Amino acid sequence: MSGTPGPSNTGKAIASLAKMPATDTTRAGTQKMKFIPTLPIRRKKEEVKQEPAAAPAPTPTGAPSERGGGRGQGRGRARGDPSRGGGRAAAPPRPPPPEMTASGPFAMGPSLAGSSAWRSGPRVSSIPTAPRGPPDPAALGANLTKTAAPALKKEERVESRVHVDDDAEVYSDPDEGVEIVDMRNVHTMDWMAPESLKWESARDRSKKRAAKVEKEEDELTPDKGKAKHGPITTEGPPVDDVGDINFANALDLSESEEEEVMENIIDDFARDGEDQSLRQERLYFFQFPSPFPSFVSKSSEPSDPGEQSHVSEHQVKRVSFSADTKPPASVPEDVDKDQPPPHVDGVIGQLEIYKSGAVKMRLANGILLDVTAATQSSFLQQAVHVDRATKNLRVLGEVGRRFVATPDIDSLLEAMTQADEAAIAKVETEGLLPMDTT
Amino acid sequence: METDDHVVSVLPVHLSNNLAPNLQLHQFPLLNRSLEVPPSATLSGKRIRARLKPTARRLEVHVPVDHRPEVWNTEKSKELGAGRLEDDKEKNQLDSNRVKENEDPRLSEVRFRSEAIPHVGAYMLGVVRKGALHLHPLTETHQLRPTLTYLDALNRKSRRARGADSDSESDDGPPPDPDEVPPISTPPKAKGSVGGAKEVQVTARKVDEKGGQHLQGGLSAVRREMLMGIRAEEEDEWQELAYHGPESAESNEAYEALFSQCGDVLESQSNVSTFLSSTRGR
Repeated sequence: MSGTPGPSNTGKAIASLAKMPATDTTRAGTQKMKFIPTLPIRRKKEEVKQEPAAAPAPTPTGAPSERGGGRGQGRGRARGDPSRGGGRAAAPPRPPPPEMTASGPFAMGPSLAGSSAWRSGPRVSSIPTAPRGPPDPAALGANLTKTAAPALKKEERVESRVHVDDDAEVYSDPDEGVEIVDMRNVHTMDWMAPESLKWESARDRSKKRAAKVEKEEDELTPDKGKAKHGPITTEGPPVDDVGDINFANALDLSESEEEEVMENIIDDFARDGEDQSLRQERLYFFQFPSPFPSFVSKSSEPSDPGEQSHVSEHQVKRVSFSADTKPPASVPEDVDKDQPPPHVDGVIGQLEIYKSGAVKMRLANGILLDVTAATQSSFLQQAVHVDRATKNLRVLGEVGRRFVATPDIDSLLEAMTQADEAAIAKVETEGLLPMDTT
Repeated sequence: METDDHVVSVLPVHLSNNLAPNLQLHQFPLLNRSLEVPPSATLSGKRIRARLKPTARRLEVHVPVDHRPEVWNTEKSKELGAGRLEDDKEKNQLDSNRVKENEDPRLSEVRFRSEAIPHVGAYMLGVVRKGALHLHPLTETHQLRPTLTYLDALNRKSRRARGADSDSESDDGPPPDPDEVPPISTPPKAKGSVGGAKEVQVTARKVDEKGGQHLQGGLSAVRREMLMGIRAEEEDEWQELAYHGPESAESNEAYEALFSQCGDVLESQSNVSTFLSSTRGR
């Protein structure tokens, strides 16, 4: 079908229908937009391209890498990135490559990757106050920096600090005005200095591994996948079953953590008769299942049964009373929702520490709770007494470890079975109710 | 279970609620050093302050900042201080005692604002003393984070200055829900002129939409509740609290009150199975 040949094909008998002549209008009739790319100025690139070819050895060969050329080039952005070499010739004027001077944190190149060169200069010297170092947080009883924590860890940490000096890395001589500070020690430089990351030196790591391996070898239980496999490292004992690698790996982590933590729990609770100064006592956080059983003193008649937990939310809205209510154990009144909770003061049970490291809390009526360490928080937690009546906010201290109390499953199930049996027995003694079939 | 697992030591557990219901746990996420005044600020006599909105259960803790020139940019602090001042005025929380009229307002403290965290289970604070564990219930847990609302104030100011030609970054809150009709602004008008950021946004939306009158029910219930809650909180006045650090005498007093004084054995009505039976299904 001839159709409409394109316009103005005067010279041809049959115009090619497939070919659209180049016009400025699109098929829809609008004006075609012309795309004109902004070409980067190519001048410099050509020059630079020629230079390295002529320049002596230090820069690696190849035009694209003239940017990243040489370890000493201080523009960290383009360091070692040849792909970005091209097309950026329109960058702000730079000195020609061989004359680049190194500056900035990457100045020394990757050889000092483990540390950073800081221009501390006047800052350090002009600080009138002592920099915050490890002794400081300990004195505050803080559980906040890596240094604080149960005694074990603290000592370990201090020890590692000392060792750092022994096997401290040897750095190349600094330039003038530049002080080299190990990254681990940055936080000791100033009050406002950033926190250093936790550092596990090679020594500690191997110690931990050794401890882990020992513990696992001591384990008598032949449970599948449990602790027969050493940690998956080059130094550890070979893994028995290839198929269990991941499983063993996963277990190792949790186990080792558990072991450490167990010891620490004991340490926390087994401080008998230590005469500590007032503020050295550690505050712990306990999480109990709700509802926490209510306790009453024997001398009075029992108040409402245990569904009312001490920490139910509706108490918060209540007007608070002054905090001067000092013990001894008073007779709790009948609990009215509008009044403050009955005053409770006394022994509710005992905390038992077992040889295996398990910690259980035994409360009245056979309530047995397992106490385990909860996820430790890395941030500051304060126990605070907010007294709205006297408009006081008193910080009682910083809370260190967290513990979770969970009902001991065995005793829970036993109690349930007993309850069931009791119910059945009750039904039997009372006799079954006759059915009215009339 | 190991067969030779025996009890190694026993600690009696005391429970007291002498300080209830005022014992709270304050958490400062992202802060892993203790809350104290930087030495340079102590020298100039600054202290940590706190204030409270009792009904809304909102706390603020103001911690002075370290303003040595090595670590603090004074110029910027003046700029941001102006933003904070304006923010305070908007929210009607300007404290006349604190404002110095003679010099430029500066950002001189970090304000930590609290969020109440619901409890899961019963929280207790425990201290081991003389071989006994003393427990005390915690009623509230708050997480305190620094507020940067002064940045919002500055942003609004600059946006207003720029006028209609605002760039895409400074957007006016979340875009209106396409399924939901934008809310109308009659409630804020009834309220008065105290309103801050939230009301402004609502008003702006009203201008945009075409037929503004038909929908009291257009505001979804949840959103209405939230707005009301926010407004109620803003109307609540701040109450200043005297802040006593952990080492002060008052705190020591309160700390001592934490402990149980009596050794009577208490009884309980509940059983382990109470835990099971009162577990709420979700």
